[in-house]
Amino acid sequence: MKNIKVRITFIILMPIIIFFVSLMAGATTINPFTPDMVSREILFSIRAPRSIVAILMGMALGASGAVLQGILKNPLADPYILGISSGASLAAALGIMAGAAFLGTFTIPFLAFIGALATGIMVGIMGWQRGGLWPERILLAGVGLSFLFSAMLMLIMSISSDEGLRRAMLWIFGDLSMSEWPKVPYGLVFVAAGISVSLFRAKALNALILGDELAYSLGFSPRRERLVLFVSVGLLTAASVSLGGMIGFIGLLVPHIMRFFIGSDNRLLVPCSALGGGALLCIADVISRSVLPPIELPAGIVTAIIGSPYFLYLLRRKNVLSI
Amino acid sequence: MTESFARQCSVVFLLIVISLQASLITASSTDTPKRIISLAPNITEILFELGVDDRLVGVSSFCDYPEAAKQKAKIGGFSNPSLEAVVALRPDLVLLTHDGNPKAFEERLRSMNIHTLVIQSRKISDLPQSIRQIGAEVGSRDKAERLAVDIEKRLNDYRAKELLAGAHEKSPKKKKVLFIIWPDPLIVAGPGTTTHEALTLLGLENISGRTSTAYPKYSIEEILRQAPDVIFIGKGNGMDKVADGLLRRLNTVPAVRNGRVFYVSDYLYRLGPRTLNGVDELAAHLKKP
Repeated sequence: MKNIKVRITFIILMPIIIFFVSLMAGATTINPFTPDMVSREILFSIRAPRSIVAILMGMALGASGAVLQGILKNPLADPYILGISSGASLAAALGIMAGAAFLGTFTIPFLAFIGALATGIMVGIMGWQRGGLWPERILLAGVGLSFLFSAMLMLIMSISSDEGLRRAMLWIFGDLSMSEWPKVPYGLVFVAAGISVSLFRAKALNALILGDELAYSLGFSPRRERLVLFVSVGLLTAASVSLGGMIGFIGLLVPHIMRFFIGSDNRLLVPCSALGGGALLCIADVISRSVLPPIELPAGIVTAIIGSPYFLYLLRRKNVLSI
Repeated sequence: MTESFARQCSVVFLLIVISLQASLITASSTDTPKRIISLAPNITEILFELGVDDRLVGVSSFCDYPEAAKQKAKIGGFSNPSLEAVVALRPDLVLLTHDGNPKAFEERLRSMNIHTLVIQSRKISDLPQSIRQIGAEVGSRDKAERLAVDIEKRLNDYRAKELLAGAHEKSPKKKKVLFIIWPDPLIVAGPGTTTHEALTLLGLENISGRTSTAYPKYSIEEILRQAPDVIFIGKGNGMDKVADGLLRRLNTVPAVRNGRVFYVSDYLYRLGPRTLNGVDELAAHLKKP
């Protein structure tokens, strides 16, 4: 028990330490205590919002991955399997091509959010039968819609010569370089709301994993719990996609990494997955902007490149825990 | 049923053989090609400039200049031309570029005995040579020579001006400049591009000139740090709106502070007859007080 307290302290401290490292590291190292004019500006108007957005987005992905694996009872579920990201990318690409700018620089993130929400609702409708959501139906509806939207996106890209599609690619590979302060409160609202709902229902999530009958006898309504959790995952994923596009790995594998350390009780797993996801995305973004300055790499690629070997190492060393 | 299908197949096959032979005969029987296909917009522009557009039977869907090029038969995209469409036009010469057209496509055409020419140039200084090469191939040597000499002369004028300016000042401090291809995500013109060459020709220091790729995704932090004196933004759909967000974040950079951000056309993106107009355009902006 003492051991797990140390681990949890470590998991809480990690994103905080990484955040401060991220302020110093970048194309050029900045000493945050004695910055000159330019450094101060880089620190406050570029690095700080970017790191915060990275942490928020990573938290959203980590938490929603953990919740989704629970409600679908499937270790391979990740937020993108619901087709939400494909719907968001498609809406963003259409907006970019139509030259939409009704909300200034917020237009495209807003459209991505709407696309994500619309897809989430569609998946929900198709997964709904006999007064409740069915895990298998949700999964299959998500996979089906995901294929449809990706194909539509590819179709648009292959028949169009529009230069703006470079921006659409951004949603597919994930990018945090344009993160600004105005994104922070907006992201914070959705991430805080989504994670709080998941946390309050974590006990119910534990019960759901045991099976509907058992959950029922423990005093939870499986149908209602699944719906509430599904809505919170949808919001979290929609918010994360509109913050920085698609970043793989975190939603799928961070919850598994956390299960190796703290077990599969969702009351711990959901917040720890959020913290781990935030820390991983933030450090990946630091690496993506520091290794080849002044060139920046897509953060999603770095996330998978540093995350996957670590995951595989853990897989060899530890016993695989079920969801 | 199957018999008639087999007969139809054999007729189609026969037709293909005949048309292939026909194209072989036209290719070998005459010296100047009569049916030319261009797979790249800059080559199309050069062919129009050389006055051989009446023999140009097909272009890529990216060939949009001059206006008349849009009326030509399209054979597909730049990186994904259609082999069937090219062959159907029975060309006796297909012009391709090393810089964008797929290499395998050219090999395939050659294996079908269609005469091809791949233009290798990537730099403005190689352009006159490429024009002469095309001129020789399509039988328009004189016009090609005149165009090539004109470009060489304009290039040399710029080089001479640059030498003079360098000799004039004691310690020539080069102006720092950045050419933005696309603002979000931030893609800039790096080394090896025509744009970079144009900036160097004008005696400017391209701040992204030392990166390892031609079109790097650039760090905003580095722009703030390197503080360019001038920023050029290339042409694009609704570019001013897209660039707005970026420029707002760069408002402490000298170029933005002093109003030296210029939107320019896409001349420099194509290595053809209009490339030097792009250099002239940059020079004209720089002269502004």
